[in-house]
Amino acid sequence: MKYQIVIAGIGGQGAVFLVKVLSIASAIKGQKCLGTENHGMSQRGGSVSCYVKVGNFYAPAIDEGQADLLIALEGNEGLRNIQYLKKGHGTIVVNADAKFPKVDFETVKIDAFTKAKNKEFSIEALNVYMLGITLAKDKNFPFSQSEIEQAITQMNAKAAPKNISVLHLAIADAKEI
Amino acid sequence: MKQILMGNDAIALALTHAGVDMVSGYPGTPSSEILGNFQKHSQKLNLNTYAQWATNEKVGFEVAYAGAISGKRTCATMKQVGLNVASDALMSASYIGLKGAMLLISCDDPGFYSSQTEQDSRSFAKFARIPVLDPATPQEAYDMVKLGIEISEKFESIIMLRPVMRVCHAREICQVDDTLHVEPLAGNFERNIPRWAAVPPAGRFRQGLEQLERLEVIKEWNWNNLIEPKAKALKGSKVLCLTSGTGDGYVREALEERGIEADVLKLDMPYPLPKEKIERLFETYEKVIIFEESYPCIEEQLSSPKLYGKLTKHVHQIDEFSKDKVLSTFANVGLIEKNNSYKSEKYNQPLPVRPPNMCPGCPHRDVFYSVMKVFKKKKSIYTSDIGCYTLGLNQGAIDTVLCMGASVSMASGFAISDPDKTVVATIGDSTFAHSGVAPLINAVYQKHKFILLILDNSVTAMTGRQTTPERANPTDIDLKKIVEGCGVTCYEYVYKPDLNQTVDFMKSLKNAYENADGPVVAVIREFCVLDKDRADEWLPKVYVEVDSEKCVSCDSCITAYKCPPMHYNDEGKMEIDPFLCAGCSACLDVICPTDAFIRKNKEGK
Repeated sequence: MKYQIVIAGIGGQGAVFLVKVLSIASAIKGQKCLGTENHGMSQRGGSVSCYVKVGNFYAPAIDEGQADLLIALEGNEGLRNIQYLKKGHGTIVVNADAKFPKVDFETVKIDAFTKAKNKEFSIEALNVYMLGITLAKDKNFPFSQSEIEQAITQMNAKAAPKNISVLHLAIADAKEI
Repeated sequence: MKQILMGNDAIALALTHAGVDMVSGYPGTPSSEILGNFQKHSQKLNLNTYAQWATNEKVGFEVAYAGAISGKRTCATMKQVGLNVASDALMSASYIGLKGAMLLISCDDPGFYSSQTEQDSRSFAKFARIPVLDPATPQEAYDMVKLGIEISEKFESIIMLRPVMRVCHAREICQVDDTLHVEPLAGNFERNIPRWAAVPPAGRFRQGLEQLERLEVIKEWNWNNLIEPKAKALKGSKVLCLTSGTGDGYVREALEERGIEADVLKLDMPYPLPKEKIERLFETYEKVIIFEESYPCIEEQLSSPKLYGKLTKHVHQIDEFSKDKVLSTFANVGLIEKNNSYKSEKYNQPLPVRPPNMCPGCPHRDVFYSVMKVFKKKKSIYTSDIGCYTLGLNQGAIDTVLCMGASVSMASGFAISDPDKTVVATIGDSTFAHSGVAPLINAVYQKHKFILLILDNSVTAMTGRQTTPERANPTDIDLKKIVEGCGVTCYEYVYKPDLNQTVDFMKSLKNAYENADGPVVAVIREFCVLDKDRADEWLPKVYVEVDSEKCVSCDSCITAYKCPPMHYNDEGKMEIDPFLCAGCSACLDVICPTDAFIRKNKEGK
């Protein structure tokens, strides 16, 4: 199996957390995984794009036109990285409102900022929320809900109940998309 | 046992597994997590090790080197530009050699993600005549740390490990040792004056000859152990790709995914190379292409009319690798037709740029705002330095950025070369300790007139909030006393989230400057908003919103103050993003000409 994921967002939104969760999930699944993260300068509120390559890969970065999935924690950052998606097969899961333009890829759109503003979940858990949407809506996503929950628990057992409840909320919300 | 490790964590774990018990270095992206993770692993394994941040890379190198010549296994960590600072020590240590083992880890940053240069530490190893290992993945980084320590002991030479950012910050499931097999070595310095204090010319000449002999032996070892076993497995295609580090992965993936026929030989130790033996391999190939990052280190060691690389301009000469660049190279050498299969259309409408910015609530922003308010642009030169505060660029408050410590020495230079302007230099506390003290002494004794602001947030913030000397030992180390010790008065301002007070302090410095005949120095006591131990007591948690009736959309706030929560809404009025606002309340009162920023009624976000 080969599955390439780009995670785009703004420094501080927790893209690196998702790289960690997805690499742990790969290990649970018994799959090879190569991920790469942004640190330092790029963490200061700037654009961030991280990569996760599940399966037999040797190079850490993802080239244009190669990603199966783009998880965008913010709309413009999604558009900024749209060229990474595989033509005809790629899916974008994006946190954006109705103004998000139509793109040539299967699009799963949810306005997570508004939900966070309405206190449906804490903004710090935006990353986990978007992971839940992905889990529910990306038909080719290589991980099961239980694998993701195990990974979240392995990553930080103390914060896991809170994170998993946000994951569940997202999965429930995804039914309305 | 299998573990999911980030490259820098794999390196740290391997250091404990290799019996290293002294680690010293200076933080710098992408190297910063190595030392901290080593401390973490040591604690977990209950090891009695030394691992501390040095004041700069040269100090860190020399601490580790002394450990190595007294027989211990040691390590110095830094980023590639840090190696420039440590290079004085390295160049001599390379002649002298060592008794235990020493791994010099210098992390490179192809693509300039967090660095001012793209320099290749492998080429530095070649210049210093020490062997260098170039890992492609976290797993290889783990294995090469252990190998590096082993051969350092064997050849009595410093060995460099050169991981790039895509190794340091890559994450992979790694196969690592279950338990500790290697006991650290005891330190016992044995006096040997002709070796450890060799005096030029005769002493160093002799050591120079030994160094050359050592390199010949290592070349042979490189061939027998690292190259020949792989060379035997080559299939015999028409084209041979010589790879090093991460370049290897991009080449293999491109070949596999595009069904291109070529042999790949990865050189784990790109210096020193057994030139003749490698060139003999070329006999059966029509073309040999070298894929390496970022300088032509391998290419410069080989010669053959069959070679294609950076020197022949067939491979890109700047920026990090991609599979698209690999295909371009294949097309350039005539192996394939021009191929754009790793290219895709970008979004075709303009997107707002999102450059890095100081965090909401960061006191640096207020300092730069006040500098700009008091020292007008036309009559000033703003020199700055390396750290979060470099982002003062966004406020137009920085004219020069060169390297660690240069804000102070360049302020001296400008004070001489353009004396009609007021030079305002900004430097962080960690950078001041790193390399700001020597230029300040220089400025005091030569009476160079400028203003130096030391922004003391008591943490090395940009690289992940590592401990600074003052933070670790506040009773003995005080920046104010250091400045006074340099021979000049030190003004002090304890930051308040009230811009009026910060501006007033800057005005007082301007007065002091007018009457001064040398540098005017101030320490500004700040905090880092990401510093969980201190931020809460400093931030008033007073949140701000905009009175849209008063906002005239004049841009003043986002030009001069540039705080991330500030943005225009659909009605064209300024708005504060409540998710981003840190509650510092510094934007009240001063920055808006129409006083549109008002205190939010509700408590909290």
